[in-house]
Amino acid sequence: MAEKKTISQKIAELDELTNWFYSEDFSLDKSTEKYQKATNLAKEIEEDLKNLKNEITVIDKDFAKE
Amino acid sequence: MEPRFTVSEFIDVVNQTLDYAYASTLVEGEVSELKTSQGKWVFFSLKDETSSLPCFIPLFKLKVPLEDGMKVVLRGHPKLTAWGKFSFTIEQIMPVGEGSIKKAFEMLKKKLEKEGLFSPERKRPLPENLVNIGVISSTGAAGYADFCKIVNARWGGLKIQTAHTQVQGLDAPAQIIRALRYFNEKSEVQLIVIIRGGGSKDDLACFNDEGLVREIASSKIPVMTGIGHEVDESLADLAADLHGSTPSNVAELITPDKEALVARIAQNIKGARSKIAQAIITAYESLKNVRENMASRINTEIEKIRSNLKLIERLNPELVLKQGYSIVSGKLAPGSIVEITTIENIATAEIKAVKERK
Repeated sequence: MAEKKTISQKIAELDELTNWFYSEDFSLDKSTEKYQKATNLAKEIEEDLKNLKNEITVIDKDFAKE
Repeated sequence: MEPRFTVSEFIDVVNQTLDYAYASTLVEGEVSELKTSQGKWVFFSLKDETSSLPCFIPLFKLKVPLEDGMKVVLRGHPKLTAWGKFSFTIEQIMPVGEGSIKKAFEMLKKKLEKEGLFSPERKRPLPENLVNIGVISSTGAAGYADFCKIVNARWGGLKIQTAHTQVQGLDAPAQIIRALRYFNEKSEVQLIVIIRGGGSKDDLACFNDEGLVREIASSKIPVMTGIGHEVDESLADLAADLHGSTPSNVAELITPDKEALVARIAQNIKGARSKIAQAIITAYESLKNVRENMASRINTEIEKIRSNLKLIERLNPELVLKQGYSIVSGKLAPGSIVEITTIENIATAEIKAVKERK
């Protein structure tokens, strides 16, 4: 099974996809497929961002003591 | 029978009593008659308007630059020496009052600057892909609450471990140092953040402690500070790799803004869509051009054919006859018979003479 991508990896992939539209490799033939892929990835990232929570814990140690 | 002591016993008993009553006492006053003995011991008198207290501290424990006239708060305990001299043995010193804090700040800043503790070459950048963060702060402080609120609003997926310490007062530097060591020795955090909200000069004075400043400078893990307000500058800020103006500012500097990211993504998708639309328009325009070129070439060819047809029509003999001319066919020599064709008739004639026109 493919390893789950991190949000940073997804953002990097999306940036690469959208940069393609401004590159010399751009072609109308491939553009629809790439656009579809980019919009799907954008939705995934937005969803990930909604669900991502921080873990904040206080260390169980008394720093007042030597 | 009343107790009777030897001198040594009596001094021991007095010291025990003093220790019991004043194990760790804070005394505030003004430094005077400051002197260092044998490069090891520091003596001065702490005085106010009416009284004076002899004080002592080993030089290696002195983490604050002192000068006569400075106002300080001391933590220590009273002691009667074997020679019957009463003195206050100092554990910690912190300048108090704006003037003394400023003076101590400038003196220590100069010293540490010379050692290169604040030099830009030592500064490390914010780690990439930041996930594990160590925070040193007082968990009950407003600055810490602001930090957590902003971090949670801006980003997710972070693992933040907080070391709860005092962030003001004489004990704060030692506690923060312990927390810094804890993170360096026992955790895998990528960045240590020291935060404390706004306060008076006295409240923030602990961040100018020499020991703390040196600990920050020697941390293996990059350290970022966010202490006080925009206008406050501490030596801890100068020694840190990165510095935010407030705890909230630190939160903003270490996290991307997910709302801004979503907006950027939407903008990029919109850009890609317009790029496709633009490409379709360009393809359509180019197709239109090809069609127009072809039509133009066909028209040119048609015009050519029409023009040729006109020429051919002009050369039609019938057209000449229609204009009233005749066509003479046969040999043009005297005595020969020729045929003359008009629009309506064909006549036969004999040539009588032939002469040149000129």
